[in-house]
Amino acid sequence: MSTSDNDRISYLSGEPVGSLTPRERAELDELRTLLETPAAWEEPDDGLEERVVSAIAEEARRKRDAPSAIAEEARRERDAPSSPPASPAPQPRRRLWDRLSFPRPALVLGGFATAAAAVIVAIVIATSSSSPAPLRFAMVVTGTPLAPAAHGSATLTKMSSGWEIQLSATGLPHMANGRYYQAWLKNSAGILVPVGTFNDAEHVILWSGAPVTQFRSFSVTEQLANGNPASSGRRVLVGTAHPVH
Amino acid sequence: MQEGDLRARFRQGDPDAVREVYRSHGRLVYAVAFKVLGNRGLAEEATQQTFVKAWRAAQTFDERRELGPWLAAIARRVAIDVYRREAIRTTDPLESVAPGDPALVSTPPSVEATYDVWEVREAVAQLPPEEQEIVRLQHLDGFTHAQIAERLGIAVGTVKSRSFRAHKRLAAMLGHLRE
Repeated sequence: MSTSDNDRISYLSGEPVGSLTPRERAELDELRTLLETPAAWEEPDDGLEERVVSAIAEEARRKRDAPSAIAEEARRERDAPSSPPASPAPQPRRRLWDRLSFPRPALVLGGFATAAAAVIVAIVIATSSSSPAPLRFAMVVTGTPLAPAAHGSATLTKMSSGWEIQLSATGLPHMANGRYYQAWLKNSAGILVPVGTFNDAEHVILWSGAPVTQFRSFSVTEQLANGNPASSGRRVLVGTAHPVH
Repeated sequence: MQEGDLRARFRQGDPDAVREVYRSHGRLVYAVAFKVLGNRGLAEEATQQTFVKAWRAAQTFDERRELGPWLAAIARRVAIDVYRREAIRTTDPLESVAPGDPALVSTPPSVEATYDVWEVREAVAQLPPEEQEIVRLQHLDGFTHAQIAERLGIAVGTVKSRSFRAHKRLAAMLGHLRE
């Protein structure tokens, strides 16, 4: 872990640190605010478990006694659209942690380190359907210091044979002559799964056999066709997938 | 119980499965509800309703999906319904209403804010107990390292090292993962 990351961790943990910029402090203060949120710490009453189990047992009894009424309610719950937002449609905002640079030690490859300035914005699209919709995720993708002008978006849709990823991004130069782009998904344990290679990112369809529900960190690296399939570590595009309901 | 089997048994209304689903996701559902409602009693009510609604709809639940996001979505809808009900019902004088009362809040948290608290809650829950305690005392209760050391009867250096490790873990879990 680089010194600057040590400084960020120290600041987060409450130590006085003079080396951070005002912007870095503001970003870390945002994470602190989330850690100060009572909802992240509140514990329900110990008796809630029994109340939940009892309530469901009562529902099961009612279902046995009045199957048509319960079935109708279940259909309404299944088919109900997402609650209309009580606030205006969510405005894009920078997701704090997508702007932080905290490399996992096991994932430092080839000495690559970045002081990322990527701005990640999550877009959540409310959908309603009268039939069970395929599982869908969406994300905004942004450039890294290697490709600061790159940006775009992607949708990730569960299909019977895996996850289809439709990526549209601009600001990445066309690759050729043995150089190409490789897309990756990664889970919280740092396990990387390759999801496709391409030369141009303006519209590309990728495919993942690993579940996006667990592998939600997306990245694109520059690669060289030299027989080494491992990630070069030269990331040019990053994003985080969020479920679409 | 493997999650696939758990989901199937939950769909069947198996009481053991219901209990298991609550134990694995109940605190996260509660965190979402509390984020919206800011009130323990209402959040518990919303949590109970969430699991009941989830059970009612379980027959149509796609077993390829993960329970967590599905439950979070139901929890947010239920909590907003409770929030609206309480906002309409309250007729107390403004000055007598507690600052965190839902009736005073103009809009409930966004979808993103509820997912934020879900992710933070999950990350915090994965900390070792001694580190979780330090982070809670520091952030939720606002204690300094020296105050935490005195409260727990341990050295300030121990507090600082546990705090550093905890925040390093949290940053790794909540930060955008880098190679």
